[in-house]
Amino acid sequence: MKKIMGFVMSLVVLIGVLAGCSDSESSSGSGDAKGEKKVDLKIWSFTDELKKPIKKFEEKNGVKVELTIVPIADYPTKLKPVLDSGVGAPDVFTGEIAFLKQWVDAGYWENLSADPYNADKISDKYIPYVFDLGKDSEGNVRALSWQTTPGGIYYKRSIAKEVLGTDNPDEVGEMLSSMDKVFEVAEKMKEKGYRMFPDEGAIRWFSQGDNPQAWVNENNDLKLTDQKIEFMDYAKKLRKNNYTALAGEWSPSWFEAMDKPIKVKENGKETETQVFSYVLPTWGLHSVLKTNVKESAGDWAVTNGPSPYFWGGTWLGVYNKSKNKELAYDFVKMMTQDDEFLTDWAKETGDVLSYLPVTSKIKDDFSDEFLGGQNNYKFFLDQAKKIEPGIVTKYDQQLDTLYGNAVKDYVDGKKTKDEAVKEFYRQAKNAYPELNVPKK
Amino acid sequence: MKNLDRYGYYFIAPFWIIFLVFNIYPVALTLYYSFTNYNGSGTSEVVGFANYARLITDSYFLEAFVNTWKIWGINFALQIAIALILAAIFSDLRVKMKGLSFFRAIFYLPNLITVSSVALLFGILLDWQHGSLNLVLLNLGLISEPINWLNEPATAQLSVSLILTWMWFGHSFIVVMAGVSGISRDYYEAALIDGANRWQTFSKITLPLLKPILLYIMITSLIGGLQLFDLPMLLTDGIGSPEGSLNTMVLYLYNQAFKYNNYGYAAAVAYGLFIITVIFSAIVFKSMYRDQKKQARQV
Amino acid sequence: MLERSEINNPAPGKLSNTSLLPDEIKIKKRRSIVKGIIYILLTLLAIVCFIPFLMMLVNATRSNDAILTGFTLVPGSSLIENYHTMMDYVNIWNGFKNSLIISVSVTVLTGYFSALTAYGFAFYKFKGKNFLFVFMLVMMMVPGQLGLIGFYELSKTLGILDTFIPLIVPAVASPFVVFFLRQYIQTTLHPSLIEAARIDGASEWKIFHTVAIPIMMPAIATMSIFTFIGSWNNYIMPLVILFSPEKYTLPVLMGFLKGSQVAQNLGSMYLGIAISVVPIMIAFLFLSKYIVNSISAGAIKE
Repeated sequence: MKKIMGFVMSLVVLIGVLAGCSDSESSSGSGDAKGEKKVDLKIWSFTDELKKPIKKFEEKNGVKVELTIVPIADYPTKLKPVLDSGVGAPDVFTGEIAFLKQWVDAGYWENLSADPYNADKISDKYIPYVFDLGKDSEGNVRALSWQTTPGGIYYKRSIAKEVLGTDNPDEVGEMLSSMDKVFEVAEKMKEKGYRMFPDEGAIRWFSQGDNPQAWVNENNDLKLTDQKIEFMDYAKKLRKNNYTALAGEWSPSWFEAMDKPIKVKENGKETETQVFSYVLPTWGLHSVLKTNVKESAGDWAVTNGPSPYFWGGTWLGVYNKSKNKELAYDFVKMMTQDDEFLTDWAKETGDVLSYLPVTSKIKDDFSDEFLGGQNNYKFFLDQAKKIEPGIVTKYDQQLDTLYGNAVKDYVDGKKTKDEAVKEFYRQAKNAYPELNVPKK
Repeated sequence: MKNLDRYGYYFIAPFWIIFLVFNIYPVALTLYYSFTNYNGSGTSEVVGFANYARLITDSYFLEAFVNTWKIWGINFALQIAIALILAAIFSDLRVKMKGLSFFRAIFYLPNLITVSSVALLFGILLDWQHGSLNLVLLNLGLISEPINWLNEPATAQLSVSLILTWMWFGHSFIVVMAGVSGISRDYYEAALIDGANRWQTFSKITLPLLKPILLYIMITSLIGGLQLFDLPMLLTDGIGSPEGSLNTMVLYLYNQAFKYNNYGYAAAVAYGLFIITVIFSAIVFKSMYRDQKKQARQV
Repeated sequence: MLERSEINNPAPGKLSNTSLLPDEIKIKKRRSIVKGIIYILLTLLAIVCFIPFLMMLVNATRSNDAILTGFTLVPGSSLIENYHTMMDYVNIWNGFKNSLIISVSVTVLTGYFSALTAYGFAFYKFKGKNFLFVFMLVMMMVPGQLGLIGFYELSKTLGILDTFIPLIVPAVASPFVVFFLRQYIQTTLHPSLIEAARIDGASEWKIFHTVAIPIMMPAIATMSIFTFIGSWNNYIMPLVILFSPEKYTLPVLMGFLKGSQVAQNLGSMYLGIAISVVPIMIAFLFLSKYIVNSISAGAIKE
């Protein structure tokens, strides 16, 4: 009994102490805020990529900037209420491609086409598709980006030499310039005991074939092109002919196969094999391959696939209720239009820029040790210019996922092609009731 | 003495003031959204019962309903069975097991980790080709081919059920033990003297006296189970793969709200789920209390 | 305490270990075998529950490269390095302090006010009591995910965004805990005890504090563990409510780390998780011991 009373007493004391504590906490907290240097600019993003640029910006302008990082999965959840209400909101915030198209139309970003920004005047200085993506449905610029994220096929030079007789990116690229050619190479790889890709999902970026079209047109019609349906068969063929190592994207075996031979089961027998190539964009080199590959560094190269594509990308814009728009746009300007800064940035990080005045100056001096000295910069810029602008919609992220599942069900043999397509239509309609879906 | 009953209001007043402000107000706001086509930003129109009309014909919601019950049901049966067996072992005066506080602490550990870490961990363990689970099973000769756990509806659902059991059986065990500790030892000692065996002691003393606590576990687990979503979301692609087998009701709600921006419809889904939960909780209450009455008559 | 099983034995009088009857020996032997098997099974179960923690703790001391090569139980030597990598980015101890303030306040408020409410529901008769109780239970069943936006707007209206208030004060109303405590107190506290106290002239508040709370203590302690851990691991609420980095709680800081370059260094990530989990393990062990003590204290009282 004494023990219990003792505990109750200590609880009561604790409550008192805490009440006192939290009181002094809040008052001293606000005191600190006043005592500290005032924050001039608040920036929110989902990576710490901007950390260094912010430091530079602070030094240059003699201001204090506060960077808040929110993990990408929670980024929209955190941002939405803040932007709706304006309380505690950032002055500048970034947007990832996954939700970019929603946000440009949500009315959170300042209209940069208007005075005093007049961003349209500089449109021809950018890779077309990158500039185009930052526009809202009325054609006003809402966000800009300093980078471009086209993709290619990264492959191992030693295997290319052995199987294809050359490791030259141009020649290998020629051998991969159409889906049929890709399968020819895949067959050759298989004969020598290699696997073309880690998994079937790898070729999804080429699914639009030679007929790139937006998922949804201006009449809200869902467009599943013949090429995209054909893609189902390509994926199935990859599986059926054992052209892949069955190592799903981002799975442990997917990473493992980059650097080492991996074991694959085939017709009940376990065999060891190596994966020839990975389909990844610009950032795949720095944040995927380089961080996971040790032994085969230098044995890689990058080349084109059957069609150009891009994957990812970060845009940034000014919050339209910001009280400090001028300074905010200064930061956006530094990130996207400052020759000196961008030159340093590109050289330091290897980031492929979308700002042409800088890229045309620096593109010729690049070479990457990891890629055996290849100038990947030039390659990616060429790819970026080939990307069709104007086919990205706010539906893409989810529709791609839904269609990917449909393809997977077909490849796994769980559904017939018709069933898979039908199910895709049904799911698309369920997610977006406003879409017009063919009634097959 | 009667005038003391006004103290009842005093005692529950702080709870209700805070409850009204911080719980009921946001929930009421959701109710309003369920009658609109609110899409998360901008203006919205009132659309009457359109969202609810859609809900009752929505085959995906039905699928989510069935999945949720399957996953929760298996998990709950296992979890409560383990908790009761453990409680029976540790409350048995004849066996006199030692180390209750040690085991209780260890069994509760899985519940300390956040769900995202749990998902990460099991994602690695269950990996088809290199996961430890398949490697162990292969080496023991229990299976001849690696099982792609998260790629087949049945095994994917079973995996989620078992992970949930792993996470929660310690929790149930603690709650059951708290209930057991409230039972006077006199009953057990009397039972010993009367020569009752273990099963008799357990079924005639422990279980009936635990009824209020078991009711608590049933209800809270039901409510929690029907709101299951983070584990299925994080284990596969977040929209219920494979073949929609991990599409649970709240995952569906979450995707409608935050992926597809159909806030109005998502609010209707929330209330659909709410009504389902109320109905099943009422059934649980009813059956538990009817049992109690029956027993009272038998005695 | 007496060896209770001996009471059950037909042999009269007290028995010393040297003079056991053959029957007795058999039973004891069988019992110890069963006990052994049970212990083995319990230990296996314990291992299954403990392994992830071991992995986490070991990985916190290893470098990123070492972690990628696979799992081992041998600790690495990169603990200090991992620590510095992490501290370069976030001040984890500040987050620790914030989490502690919030979680302790939440636990205390929940424990006290839930006991108060449960007692009010259990031992007074007043109009609308059953309705209010059922209504509270029903409100527990509303899925919380959608309330978030309403909750944010409410906090904005009250002007308490970016403070700890919206994270602490709602703890006063915790239906689950009230429900549990009411269930518990109905089986453990007999109304005659309250009547006796009233006849002794104790006020209602005093009865609650001196009679009801001590009896409810094991249940309050049990619920406090869950409350504390729930609050400690709470992620989405502080994420949405707090803006100033110096007010971030541990889970929010971990999210911050995930978005930074530290995420590339798995060792630092594991260390961060370890720092946020180990204290609750300790707190849990402490409270767990307290429950055991309070149970025996209750036994002594009788």
